[in-house]
Amino acid sequence: MVARPGLRAESRLFTALLLWLIAASCLAASAASEQIERGRYLVHAGGCISCHTADRPDAIPLAGGRRLETPFGIFYAPNLRPDRKTGTGGWTDRDFDAALRQGRAPDGSLYYPVFPYPAYAGMSDRDVSAIAAYLRSLTPVHNPVPPHELPWYLRWRQVMLGWNLLWFDPQPFQADQRRDAEWNRGAYLVRHLGHCGECHTPRNVLGARDHSRELAGNPDGPDNENIPGIRQDREGGIGQWTIDDILLFLEVGMLPDGDFAGSSMSEVIDDNTSQLTAADRRAIAVYLQSLAPLHSP
Amino acid sequence: MHHRNLTALLTFATLAFAGTSFSATAPADAIKYRKAVMSAMAAHTNAFSLINFGRVEHQDHLRAHVEALAAMGTEVKVLFPAGTDTGNTDALPLIWQEQEKFGQLVTAAEKSTAELRDAVVAGDKAATMKAFKAVGEACKGCHDRYRKEKK
Repeated sequence: MVARPGLRAESRLFTALLLWLIAASCLAASAASEQIERGRYLVHAGGCISCHTADRPDAIPLAGGRRLETPFGIFYAPNLRPDRKTGTGGWTDRDFDAALRQGRAPDGSLYYPVFPYPAYAGMSDRDVSAIAAYLRSLTPVHNPVPPHELPWYLRWRQVMLGWNLLWFDPQPFQADQRRDAEWNRGAYLVRHLGHCGECHTPRNVLGARDHSRELAGNPDGPDNENIPGIRQDREGGIGQWTIDDILLFLEVGMLPDGDFAGSSMSEVIDDNTSQLTAADRRAIAVYLQSLAPLHSP
Repeated sequence: MHHRNLTALLTFATLAFAGTSFSATAPADAIKYRKAVMSAMAAHTNAFSLINFGRVEHQDHLRAHVEALAAMGTEVKVLFPAGTDTGNTDALPLIWQEQEKFGQLVTAAEKSTAELRDAVVAGDKAATMKAFKAVGEACKGCHDRYRKEKK
């Protein structure tokens, strides 16, 4: 038989091309699924589940409806599932970015800071896209949520323009070069993604966090709870806790005296901190242990 | 005559007093006892975790703490008699308003401490960790619903 080198080379080239296409699409698919998986992790680390899931045993995660009582009125957390009518269906990456980091809905209306966009403002581009990818990957659920019950002077959302002007200063997270990567990861998780300060930092009369008392405890916390400080005070803080005490608390919820607290923190532990990697929990603990003592009366 | 009357009265009073103290526990003491058992459970949990997570030696104590915890787990169901909802307690009235649900949660907690004991006895590290988390969930579940958190 006479070899036909031309044809052979051609078919080889074709096979190579085919293999390359398959590999490329597989890579793209695995990159996409990796991003979705990262987004799933971030949605836990960002505490989205706790607020955007109704407080019922049969509630669908992230479909919204949870009632949040605050000194400014009653809010109902919106549906984050990609339903076109009642959720985030059709949102672009830009829409998610504006919502998370600027507190602005796709129609241009403003969110109330019960949604922690002032903390999320420091979130990285990569994390915003991953959260968007994950939320888009969820099954849409049609779940209309009741309107917020607010005093007349807050019903007009654009009133938040003034609030934002006064208190909202969106800054991307800046790593502190004098500290190591672990500390910086902890700072990012505590101050931005995990938004610990939303409960643990006291607020002024207009509901803005008092940055001079960051994480120093909030006697008028959500649901009328007295939220303890988590700086290094020996009283009113966690100055007597060892790093292992913090780690065990964030993982299983045990306090250093062997008690298991109920309260809103137990939910944060279940949906957020217990779902983190051990390395991220350690980063949080390392960061908290670096905070100078300071506590609110 | 006068004396005899007084003696009789005193005897009667003493007997009556002794009678009541034997027949019913003062609610204040029932609450005190409840707190003592709860604190003891927390202390054993704490000691257990220090050994279990390798922060102290004393492996030989592990069994004693988990046995105590499992034993006290069975006591919880009788720690909330009627009439102990007021006074020096953080227990919320909801306990006595939904006895059935409360009972279910207490039974779940009892079961979880027993499972922790079994895992320790079997020397199964992974099962011990899992059971320890479940004990925590059971404790938190009840405290969240039925205990007034410190204000």
